[in-house]
Amino acid sequence: MPVGLVARLVVGGVWLVAGVLKLPDPAESVRAVRAYRLLPEAVVPAVGHLLPVLEVVVGLCLLLGLLTRVSATVSVLMLAAFVVGIASAWARGLSIDCGCFGGGASSTQDAASAYPWDIARDVGLLLLSAWLVWRPRTRWALDRRLLPQEA
Amino acid sequence: MARKRSTATRRAESEAATARAAAIRAEQERRERRRRSLVVTAVGVAVLTLVLVIGYLVQASRDDTGEAATGPRGAVGYALEVGPATAPATVTIVEDPMCPFCGDFENASRGWLSDYAAAGKVRVRFRVISFLDDTSNGTEYSTRAASALAVVLDSSGPRVAKRFHDLLFENQPPEGSDGLSDSRLTGLAVQAGATRSAVEKGIRGRSFESWVNNATDAGTKLEGYQGTPFVQLDGEPFTDYDSVDELSANLRSAVDAASG
Repeated sequence: MPVGLVARLVVGGVWLVAGVLKLPDPAESVRAVRAYRLLPEAVVPAVGHLLPVLEVVVGLCLLLGLLTRVSATVSVLMLAAFVVGIASAWARGLSIDCGCFGGGASSTQDAASAYPWDIARDVGLLLLSAWLVWRPRTRWALDRRLLPQEA
Repeated sequence: MARKRSTATRRAESEAATARAAAIRAEQERRERRRRSLVVTAVGVAVLTLVLVIGYLVQASRDDTGEAATGPRGAVGYALEVGPATAPATVTIVEDPMCPFCGDFENASRGWLSDYAAAGKVRVRFRVISFLDDTSNGTEYSTRAASALAVVLDSSGPRVAKRFHDLLFENQPPEGSDGLSDSRLTGLAVQAGATRSAVEKGIRGRSFESWVNNATDAGTKLEGYQGTPFVQLDGEPFTDYDSVDELSANLRSAVDAASG
């Protein structure tokens, strides 16, 4: 089974969907970032405005197989940051929606019950991304046309 | 006189030379591939960085949060204030018109809070924010309702606005529905005591949308805010509860203690 191709499509698809859902409401993604209470307020708006764009770009790159190793590295870093963020919110007893697919800072009182699932999903995606960092050459990738073949 | 080398020796030397040349060529090709990989990657990363910068700037420009916006007359900061300034306790309630727990909390607390405010025991600040716009099928009910409340406050004063605020929660639409239509909001404003002609245009045009965006931003920045309903007692987060009914009951005890 082409593990690399599957990893690219799964991780890329998730990033694309997550990013596209957040693009329409930049103020909302700023609030979702703020809800974690981890970053200083001075950088919260910038992160909230940049993150959805970064997610869409990384998602498209992975789906197309464009600069797979670089994209997968960024993917690993972002997912690691999200896992830390969610775990930290959990540890501090915050009850917030992770805002992973838009929304965020939601009113759900039992938002905390989703933390284990959010973390499990992100760890799974992180492992798939790590595989692509290790083995970036995959089937049906633009990289095969742009980058020279290994001898 | 040169000694004639054997054919075998000459062949071996020739093969060694060919192998050396092939190795050099392979090394050159390897370097060339490596150089090309680096160039392609660098160009790609540069292009993508440019895309990110442009995307970031577009997102930042689409977010008007924090830009100066005129608020409604009669607002205290971002709040609709009820009860005397001399009251021994000040309760601040941050709520979204679409948030079901806010509706439950309103149902649990409206009666006693109104009585206490009328008796001078408490001053209540309702900070209506809008962060649940994506739960009304694209009609942005939270923003429409919060802006409508500001329109009513601006045109008809805090007493009518408080009644309108109560009607919003008594007629709260479920999450995931279209929310109340603009004409229904206007109808409720009239029911609360506003003049139709004074509010109709403002409600439909969302006159205070920018101010509501700022109110939302400010509300979510409050210390201890995690979601709505969020309650402060005398400026401190009030988090002594597990359910909204408990929140109402414990808040009442705390206000009782303050007015002792």
